Amino acid sequence: MMLSEKKRGVLDGISIAVVTLLLSALLILACGANPMEAFGLFFKGVFGNKASFAEIFVKACPLMLTGLGCAVAFRTGFFNIGAEGQFYVGAIAATMVALGLPQVPGGVRLVLCFVSAFVGGGIWAFLAAFLKTKWNISEIIVTIMLNYIVIYFLGYAVRGFLMDPSGNVPQSAKIEASVQLPNLIASTRFHVGILIALVLVAVVWFVLEKTTLGFEFKAVGLNRRGAGCNGIPVVRSMVLSAVLSGGLSAVAGAIEVLAIQKKLLEGISGNCGYTAVLIALVAFNRPVGVVIASVVYAAMQVGAGSMQRQLGVPSAIVNIIIGVVVVLILGRELLQWYKRSKKKA
Amino acid sequence: MALLEMRDICKSFSGVYANDHMNLTVEKGEIHALLGENGAGKTTLVNILFGIYAPDSGSISWKGQPVSFSSPRDAIAAGIGMVQQHFSLVRRMTVLDNIILNLRENRFVLDRKTARARVLQLADKYGLKVDPDAMVCDLSVGEQQRVEILKALYRDVELLILDEPTGVLTPQETAQFFDVLRVLRQEGYGIIIITHRMSEIMAISDRVTILRDGKQVAVLQTNQTTPDELSRHMIGRELKECYDMDQPAGQQVLLELEGVSLPARRRGHALHDINLQLHRGEILGIAGVEGNGQKELAELIVGIQKATHGSIALEGVPMRGCSVRQRYEQGVVYISEDRLQDSLVVDMDITDNLMLREYCRPPYAKKGLLNRRAMIQAARMLMERFQVRASGVSGESTAVRLLSGGNQQKLIVAREVNEQAKVVVASQPTRGLDIGATEFVRERLVEQRNQGKGVILISADLEEIMALSDRVAVMFDGRVVGILSRKEATVEQIGLLMGGIAQEKKGCHDAQ
Repeated sequence: MMLSEKKRGVLDGISIAVVTLLLSALLILACGANPMEAFGLFFKGVFGNKASFAEIFVKACPLMLTGLGCAVAFRTGFFNIGAEGQFYVGAIAATMVALGLPQVPGGVRLVLCFVSAFVGGGIWAFLAAFLKTKWNISEIIVTIMLNYIVIYFLGYAVRGFLMDPSGNVPQSAKIEASVQLPNLIASTRFHVGILIALVLVAVVWFVLEKTTLGFEFKAVGLNRRGAGCNGIPVVRSMVLSAVLSGGLSAVAGAIEVLAIQKKLLEGISGNCGYTAVLIALVAFNRPVGVVIASVVYAAMQVGAGSMQRQLGVPSAIVNIIIGVVVVLILGRELLQWYKRSKKKA
Repeated sequence: MALLEMRDICKSFSGVYANDHMNLTVEKGEIHALLGENGAGKTTLVNILFGIYAPDSGSISWKGQPVSFSSPRDAIAAGIGMVQQHFSLVRRMTVLDNIILNLRENRFVLDRKTARARVLQLADKYGLKVDPDAMVCDLSVGEQQRVEILKALYRDVELLILDEPTGVLTPQETAQFFDVLRVLRQEGYGIIIITHRMSEIMAISDRVTILRDGKQVAVLQTNQTTPDELSRHMIGRELKECYDMDQPAGQQVLLELEGVSLPARRRGHALHDINLQLHRGEILGIAGVEGNGQKELAELIVGIQKATHGSIALEGVPMRGCSVRQRYEQGVVYISEDRLQDSLVVDMDITDNLMLREYCRPPYAKKGLLNRRAMIQAARMLMERFQVRASGVSGESTAVRLLSGGNQQKLIVAREVNEQAKVVVASQPTRGLDIGATEFVRERLVEQRNQGKGVILISADLEEIMALSDRVAVMFDGRVVGILSRKEATVEQIGLLMGGIAQEKKGCHDAQ
């Protein structure tokens, strides 16, 4: 039976959802809880009140930006696994500007925080892009190594020059209110940074879809050699996409410092830089897909939290489920690719 | 009783018949040619026989017994061997190891001694001379082919399938190869040879099965037919042999290469002191066995690689330091031999691919913003003018990977051969195309010539070179070993130069 591409997609989507639900039910049963009750609490946790609903977007915000960053880099075939490190660079840069220039007025300082974060993240990614385009050194390895450097540098900084002079905990001083990103909705954590993220998604979408630069990114990513043979500046495209990618992830780091934590501390990313790789993959590097994937991911985390608090079902279940969903989505893609190549042969 | 009988074989891919009630009979001691354009269903048919595809319906009988192979392994075990168009040898293993690779009798311990004796004996018997201890990567293409045949013979096959076996051989190597086939025929082997070269069919085969559009059109005794009849069956019409090239080539030098050299790289051939001139209104054919530096030469001209020595000048102005894009803007356009890798981005759609060169220039882009509408409009116009046909309803937004080879090539020609082109570098421009597309491409090249532009035609197909070229340069081992005028260029002369045999007086310093 031949199905149209669209119908097939819907059908696959439904089957993935069914498999996911069944598996979750089994896992919850295995924990000795009632799946229906657990699902109920899950949804109550997600949609139950304003604060928890807003929390989804708070959690989605860093994923969205780092996911977008990865997507931009993946577009040109630059496999940036360094969103984590670039996030840290952004966080450190924003903190240094916010704390280090007390004489500059708050609003200006805020802008400078973002600029320095973007530039810092961009440079961090540029290092890998330079090595990749100049000597063909694997960007995967380099970006992972760069992650370690900056993660431990942060540990050093919050025990040294950025350590809060009034305490002895490894974290920075609190950032003054005038440089913080304000909340938008009372009694929630919904902050301005979320809007910034959405605006950046729109900007990136525009660049990728409507500009010559986006055209170049796409061509380079789909066939680097062919792009080069047609005179498309391959090196420039890869370097630019890497820098843009690093900058976006770093902005996520800046937002986390300026809107949520209000100070710099270790483990500030919550590993979102690695989750970002996954977000970009299931979004097939499309900005809108990144928004959807990160919101769904965040919602699952929020719902699982409520399930765990009230029923004692471990929230780790959600990570298992997410893993399965990702494998199913990518597996479907792989299968289609395989079918296509078989048909061609 | 026939050795092989395939009856009423049907096979469709997503609703399109690749094989529609095909029949094929091969006798012992017969060389049976399968003739047809690309997409006629030749490869599908032999892949079914070899167990790579399962037929939708139809039966295969092998030595009188009905059989169905579910994998090549089954087919080999039954006594059917196949030499693929692209060899399946492990390049960094010796000839002997390649031959005994994956043999069932080698359970755990390899018995190289017995194997070597048997290989040498087979090689001797059939004139397949090759050193069993040589590394495959050190062998010439002709020798590698011998290894493939030995590999099949070693497995006691009784039927050999050869898919386009001569595409990579010089005329002299082809003659040797045919000698081997004749010995095999005498020994009672059945041979199926897939080819589109009429002359080879006439020279070697006993019978021909002609396929067209997935259907069997005719089965003929070779000695009772003519090339004309064959091609009539194959395409319904005959390939044009003459092109409208009445006015002589121009005298004015358009492109000049002086002492151009390139060191050998990891992949790729070195070039030594290439001197060539291309005139206005001229097609300069570059003949040679593939892999003797033609690709590198093309890439130096269009700027994909940079020469270490010498100069390339367009209308007297050296192009040193110019990027691929700058050269394109000056009029150097390129039809690459590797369509899928070099010329196209197959996962992008037709519009995007037609715009790969021009996307950043008005009217398609202003200040970095794409004008999608203008792009689509131009794409539709080019598609119509160059007869690029997309299957289905999606038209110009069809992914290029879904186009047939002919339409992909027309797309490339549509993009490259435009008004501003001055020098067209066309590498294997008609390889793998059906007759219709082949003629279309050749006519476009001739059109360019007649408009006073220059064409460099790199081709392994001698008939093509001779039909289209005003002059023929022959490359061997990274050098231009001879430049012949249209009159001097005979198959024999070119063939000798191609094989690196005649380094005679007609050397590199030919009269230009």
